[in-house]
Amino acid sequence: MSIDATPSIARRGLADRVLRRGPLEAAATTIIAAGVVMLMQPLSLTLYSWSFATTLFGTVMFTIVSKVRE
Amino acid sequence: MTSATTAHSVVEPSITTRRFAGSLVVLYAVITMIPLVWIMLTAFKSPDDAISYPPKVMFKPSLEGFCNLFTTRSRQTPEFIRSLGPPQGLCDSIARSRNMVVAGPSNYVPRFINSLIIAFGSTVLAVALGTLSAYGFSRFRVPLKDDLLFFILSTRMMPPIAVAIPIYLMYRTIGLSDTRLGMILLYTSVNVSLAVWLLKGFIDEIPREYEEAAMIDGYTRFQAFVKVVLPQATTGIAATAIFCLIFAWNEYAFAVLLTSGNAQTAPPFIPIIIGEGGQDWPAVAAGTTLFLVPIVVFTVLLRKHLLRGITFGAVRK
Amino acid sequence: MNELSASSRITYRAVMVRPGMARRIRGLSDKTLAWLFITPTIVLLLAINIFPLLWTIYLSFTNYRANRANVPTIWLGADWYQSILTDPDIWAAMQVTAHFVIWTVVIETVLGFGLAYLIDKKFRGHGMWTTIILLPMMLSPAVVGNFWTFLYQPQIGLFNYVVAFFTGRAASSFQMLGDVTLSPWAIVIVDAWMWTPYVMLICLAGLRSIPDYIYEAAEVDRASKWRQFWSITLPMALPFIMLAVLFRGIENFKMFDMVNLLTGGGPGSTTEVASITLKRAAFESWRTGYSSAFAIILFVTVFGLANIYVKALNKVKSR
Repeated sequence: MSIDATPSIARRGLADRVLRRGPLEAAATTIIAAGVVMLMQPLSLTLYSWSFATTLFGTVMFTIVSKVRE
Repeated sequence: MTSATTAHSVVEPSITTRRFAGSLVVLYAVITMIPLVWIMLTAFKSPDDAISYPPKVMFKPSLEGFCNLFTTRSRQTPEFIRSLGPPQGLCDSIARSRNMVVAGPSNYVPRFINSLIIAFGSTVLAVALGTLSAYGFSRFRVPLKDDLLFFILSTRMMPPIAVAIPIYLMYRTIGLSDTRLGMILLYTSVNVSLAVWLLKGFIDEIPREYEEAAMIDGYTRFQAFVKVVLPQATTGIAATAIFCLIFAWNEYAFAVLLTSGNAQTAPPFIPIIIGEGGQDWPAVAAGTTLFLVPIVVFTVLLRKHLLRGITFGAVRK
Repeated sequence: MNELSASSRITYRAVMVRPGMARRIRGLSDKTLAWLFITPTIVLLLAINIFPLLWTIYLSFTNYRANRANVPTIWLGADWYQSILTDPDIWAAMQVTAHFVIWTVVIETVLGFGLAYLIDKKFRGHGMWTTIILLPMMLSPAVVGNFWTFLYQPQIGLFNYVVAFFTGRAASSFQMLGDVTLSPWAIVIVDAWMWTPYVMLICLAGLRSIPDYIYEAAEVDRASKWRQFWSITLPMALPFIMLAVLFRGIENFKMFDMVNLLTGGGPGSTTEVASITLKRAAFESWRTGYSSAFAIILFVTVFGLANIYVKALNKVKSR
C-alpha cells in the first residue's frame, strides 16, 4: 500500500469503499463457510436448523456480487 | 557467475537429504501398494488359501478365482459327476474336484462389455461436444462466458445421489431406465464439463496466429479449426479422452441406482459376486484385477497430464 | 492449391488496405459458429442436469412418492425442509459426515504435503515412484472399497493381521467394520489411502511453482531452513493446498460409493454419511418428496462450496 493511496480512499466515501467486489465476495465466502460449519457442528440444533438458510443466502449473495464491477 | 553457481547449489538439496527423502517416499509407495498387490495375489489363490490364517504370501497359484468369475456352477452328487464324460476344459475339472459342474457362463462378461460400451460411448460424445465448446469459449467473445463456464463446472460437482432421483424419474417416464443409451447420456453430461474445462486450457495454449495465418490463406474459420487447431490439440484431446474414460469406467453411484439387469456395468456387479457361503474372494479379486488393469495402464500413459486433469486444467505444470 | 493461393493473394491485399475490414467480414460468421459450437453442450446439460434439478426443487415441495405414482400429488410448501432441518437424526448424519470430512482432509493434507515436500527434493527415480503413489486415486472407489472389506475381515484380513503383528493383539479381537467406534475410522483410512496422492500432486505443483531465486535470496539473508519453510515454502504453496482441501472437502461431503460398499452406513448408523441417508430415503423408503428436499439442501451446500472452489482455482491459475 503506497502512501498517497490512503487519502484517496478516504475521499471516496464509505459506500464506495465497502461495496466493491473484493470485500463483498469475501463476505459471501465467509457466510457460505459459516453455513457449512453450522450444518455439521455438533453443538446446537438451532444453528443446524438455520444452516441451510445461511448457505443459501451466502450462495445467492456470491452469485450477485460476482457481477459487481471490480 | 561463480556466485550464481554457489547460490544455486545451496538451493539444491544435499545427497543425504535426497536419500532420506527418497527412502521415506519409497516406504510410503510400498505400503500404499500392498492392498493392490494383495488383490492380484488373491486373484490367483484357491478359496482355501485366500481365507487362511495367517494370510499366505506364498501359495500354489490357482486359476479357480478366474473360473468362478466367468462361470456359474451347481453342486451335484459324486455319482452324477462320475456319470458324466471327461471334464471339458480347466474350469470344469476344477469345479468337479469340488463336486460341482459348470452350469454356464456368469454375468461378468456382459457387465464388462456394458462397461466398455458405456465408457467409450460417453467418452466419444463428451470429447466431441467438449472440443467444440472449448474452442468456442477459447476463441470467441461469448456473452456471460464466465457464468456459462461456472455453470458447466458446477454440474460436475452435484452430489450423484441428488441427481439420481430426478434422473430416475425422468428415465422411467421416457423409457431410458436401465438402458445403455441412458447411461451414456448421463455419463456424457458429467464428463462434458471436465472435457470443456480441460480442452479450453489446451486450446488456449495454441497460438491464435496459426489460425489467423490459415484464414489469411483463405481458410474459413471452420476449416482453420479442423485443419489447424485440431491437429495441434491432439495430445490434449487424447489426455481428456482418457480422463473421461476413467471416470465413466469407475463410476458406481449412478450405475448401482439406475441400472439393474440390462445395462449394469462392472462396478456394481463385482461386489455381488457370491460363492457358497459368502463372498467368493478369489473370484471378486479376479474380477477386480481385470477391471483395474486398464486403469493402471492409462495412468502410466497419462502421468504427465494428471495434474491438469484433477484441477480442471487450472494447474498446468 | 492454386485456387487457395489466388484467394490468399486477394486477402493479403485486402488486409493491407483495410486490416479491420477483412476480419469483420469473417467475424460475422464467427458469432454463429460460436453458438453452433457451444449450444450442443449447453442443451445436453440443460436436459440432463438443469431440468432434473428444477424438477427436484418442485418435488421437494410435494408429497410425491416414486413408488406410488398414481396417488394425487399435494403441495406441501416448505414442510420437508422444516422437518429435515429440525430432525436430530439427520443432524447426527451431518456430524458423521463432518467426522469423515474433517479427518480425511486433515490426514490427506498432512501426508500429501509431506510427501510432496519429500518428492520435491528430486531424489533419483522420483518420477517413477510418484506415478506408483498416484495409482490408488485413479482406481474405482467402489471396486477397491469393496476389496477393502476383505482386508478388514477380523480373522482372515490382511489389515487385521498387520495390526495384530505390530501391536500383539489377537487379529480377531477387533472388527474394523463391525465396531461402533472403529468403523468411522475404517472409512477414513480407506479414503486417506485413496486420496492422499491427489493432495500430494497438487501440493507438488505448488512447491514447484516457487521460483529458486526466492530461496537464494533467503539464503543470502542467512535465513534458517526452518524459517524458510514457514515464511516462503508454506505461504507460497498455500493457495494450492487450499485448492486441494476444498476439492477433497466437497468430494468427501458427498461421498457415497466407497462408504456404501465398505459399511453401507452401519453398524447402526455410525457411518451413515449424508449421501447414504439420502440414498436410503430416496431409493429404499421411496420418500421422493422428502429426499428431494434433502438433496436440495446438500446441493446448495456443494454449490456454495463450488463457488469458493472456483475462486481458489482462478487464484491458482493466475500464478
